[in-house]
Amino acid sequence: MADTGVSTRRTLRLDERGTAGPGSRTDEVVIGLSPAFGDFFTKTIVDIPHAEVLRELLAGIEEQGVHARVIRFRGGSDLAVIAHAAAKLSGSGIAVGVLSRGTTMIHQKDLVRLSNLELFPQAPLMDLDAFRKVGRNAARYAKGESPEPVPARNDFMARPRWQAKAALLHIKETEFVVPGADPVELDVRFQLADAG
Amino acid sequence: MTTSARRSKRTEALEQRPVNLDGFVEEWPEVGMVAMDSPYDPEPGVRVEDGVIVELDGKPRAEFDFLDQFIADHAIDVDATEQAMAIPAVDIAHLLIDPRATRRDVLAVTRGLTPAKLLEVVKTMNVVEMMMALQKMRARRTPANQAHATSARDNPVQVAADAAEASLRGFRELETTLGVVRYAPLVAIALQVGAQAGTPGVLTQCALEEATELELGMRGITAYAETISVYGTEPVFCDGDDTPWSKAFLASAYASRGIKMRFTSGTGSEVQMGNAEGKSMLYLEIRCILVTKGAGVQGLQNGSISCIGVPGAVPAGIRAVLAENLIASMVDLECASGNDQSFSHSDMRRVARLLPQLLPGTDFVCSGYSSTPNYDNMFAGSNVDAEDYDDWNVLQRDLQVDGGLRHVPEAELLAVRNRAARALQGVFAHLGLPPITGREIEAVTYAHGSKDLPPRDVLEDLKAAQSVLDRGVTGLDIVKGLDAAGFTDMAHSLLAVLRQRVSGDLLHTSAILTPELETLSAVNDTNDYAGPGTGYRPSGARWEEMKRLRHVVSAQNPEREVG
Amino acid sequence: MQRRCNVTPLTVPGVTTPSQVDLDPGRDYPLAARRPELLKTPTGKRIDELTMEAVLAGEVAPEDLRIAPETLRLQARIAEQSGRPQLAQNFRRAAELTALPDELVLSIYNSLRPRASTKQQLTDIADELESAYSATLCAALVREAADVYERRNILAS
Repeated sequence: MADTGVSTRRTLRLDERGTAGPGSRTDEVVIGLSPAFGDFFTKTIVDIPHAEVLRELLAGIEEQGVHARVIRFRGGSDLAVIAHAAAKLSGSGIAVGVLSRGTTMIHQKDLVRLSNLELFPQAPLMDLDAFRKVGRNAARYAKGESPEPVPARNDFMARPRWQAKAALLHIKETEFVVPGADPVELDVRFQLADAG
Repeated sequence: MTTSARRSKRTEALEQRPVNLDGFVEEWPEVGMVAMDSPYDPEPGVRVEDGVIVELDGKPRAEFDFLDQFIADHAIDVDATEQAMAIPAVDIAHLLIDPRATRRDVLAVTRGLTPAKLLEVVKTMNVVEMMMALQKMRARRTPANQAHATSARDNPVQVAADAAEASLRGFRELETTLGVVRYAPLVAIALQVGAQAGTPGVLTQCALEEATELELGMRGITAYAETISVYGTEPVFCDGDDTPWSKAFLASAYASRGIKMRFTSGTGSEVQMGNAEGKSMLYLEIRCILVTKGAGVQGLQNGSISCIGVPGAVPAGIRAVLAENLIASMVDLECASGNDQSFSHSDMRRVARLLPQLLPGTDFVCSGYSSTPNYDNMFAGSNVDAEDYDDWNVLQRDLQVDGGLRHVPEAELLAVRNRAARALQGVFAHLGLPPITGREIEAVTYAHGSKDLPPRDVLEDLKAAQSVLDRGVTGLDIVKGLDAAGFTDMAHSLLAVLRQRVSGDLLHTSAILTPELETLSAVNDTNDYAGPGTGYRPSGARWEEMKRLRHVVSAQNPEREVG
Repeated sequence: MQRRCNVTPLTVPGVTTPSQVDLDPGRDYPLAARRPELLKTPTGKRIDELTMEAVLAGEVAPEDLRIAPETLRLQARIAEQSGRPQLAQNFRRAAELTALPDELVLSIYNSLRPRASTKQQLTDIADELESAYSATLCAALVREAADVYERRNILAS
């Protein structure tokens, strides 16, 4: 299981700003969130708060001098669909897709949907550092660089422990899918929660 | 529940048992979180009008989803269906376990059965009966086994060495996949080279996105394909970016290039992807099996596969997994029967999950025994890995059951690992790919996993991988590279594998190549099990080979060991 | 292994069509070992010409390591006689596809994916398969797909 390493508690506020359109800046990475991310669900399968997930992704992108835009994809809960749709809206053609349980993918708009630049299929292994590195690499792809892929982590015992729970989480997430709905642009705000 | 904080010593001991790290969940039939016994599965039934199935399992043709239609029009024998469906399910189950009924007798009935009827049949059977049936229904008489050869760092040198060892240990098929997909061409080449260093005629594949996998196959960098996934509901099939028709076309595409292929499916994928339409895992898997049959594909990898944690978490899930292997065999498909994914923290449970395929024998007992330690397994771990080799060999010997492997003395293993790495060094040099150093070869000869190896220059390797695609490198170039580097026997063996495409003999059901490069399939090695004393039983030289283990005390001189 | 003597000797290779060859799965399979005289590459080479020496002399191209449509039709008959009609039908579709370049095969496959094509596009593909490649079985499969995709609403919009 990933060590969440979270010491301060942040809350996440995601305000919808209407239908998300294609980006005009070539120096942007789009983060595509799944339907219930930071909404019905508040943490990944190993209890990392969604606020921290998003914060690390954004920090990883921004530290590379790249602009980040966050959208919520409502039309489906399949990671490849979300990441690919986000890549098509991205001015650079690069996007990160992330599901509520923590499964993550870097995608590029010209690849076929079931291909990808980098895939992190095992949600239980995604810790804060991994999300930061995903953001960083996405930004570097957006700048036209060829970064060394984030080292693949592999816990072969994640499946027997987590797979059925992951399925239940996914079913729950899928209940929030609105077929055919447009992706929406999100305003992201972090707030420090009251201690205690 | 007691309110006391004090726990018994026994509870504490039990809490520490590995099995309690496994995940178990309640059944939830409404969303398909149920193995094979759901009140929402349809009742069996069929109606034929003018040679067309107009009603399937209670659904009229106008309401067929695309799987129903494909199954009705392509998988079920319209001429046989009404008669077959009239036979009570329990009678069909009796036919399955009665040794006096031949495999052919059973096929004459199963060719006409609908998904719900097939489900009803296996629901009458317990696991012992299913194993008896599987023993008879397996398509190829001689069982075989398949290994994974992957690397946590996608290190091609490691993949070559492990492939060579796996090949020498007896696997007839090897599969690889990647952490970083772009590494595929180099790793697939490494697998192809390593496989031929052990015993000749081992077939290799690289699990990738469908179109890319086909491309590597067309180039002769891989010898067959397996990761052609099918799903049991329309939305999940579409999420996989395919339909039964696109997959059927893909099947013909492979055959048109003389390349063996099988489909892949398994219980739990639909509920895992959140769209099981409230049907049991096994009912949906049966639809996958019949789509495979209808597409004219020779075989199927099933047995839950990458979703094993889902059926593994619900009641009777492992019975359902055996049932899916059985049904694939019952409809005359090659079955590569799972046992290829990490399944449990408990060694007892791992073996219990394995025996239903190992004991009766299947076409490939594992559709991926990890030839590496599981930390290197890029399919996210297998039910059995390189550290289980000796256990496996002992199980074969204890029970006199052929799981396809053998014990090999260390000196021979070191020799083939070293040779495979040197051969790959030669091929890489011939193709102008990044060099493989003597230090890497030395390390991989003695290595257990990627942690024991010097790291490679990943960016250089990835550039080279792209150049393999851009330059149009083919299997013939690997043959030439092997020959140029002085590995003429391996060059011959690989050429023989490539030449198989011209004859198409490997396209038939359950085909493998023997180490003598002879084709063995359900056509010329038909399972002839007909009760005690018949069918495949390990004997002669094979049984003598199975008796050898790492440590066996000599009867001649009990102070010494043999083997 | 016995070989019946009523098999027409193939003194003029290429003249006998697959349907005229007397085939018995029990006797003739695997073809490479038992009936090599029936096998030719699409480029007209015999299977025993695909030697290591020929490869090293540069006389074997990747196209020589392909299966010929006639061979697939022979294998279809073996599948049929082994009680596997669907497998046989797949081999017959495959025989048609041998004539298509790799890129076209891949592109038709991609066109058959859900929501990838309009009905007209699929119909055009079927027409092309039929007119340019005489691939009637494959054309029928694509037309069937077009109808089902329309009914199930998975055509491109």
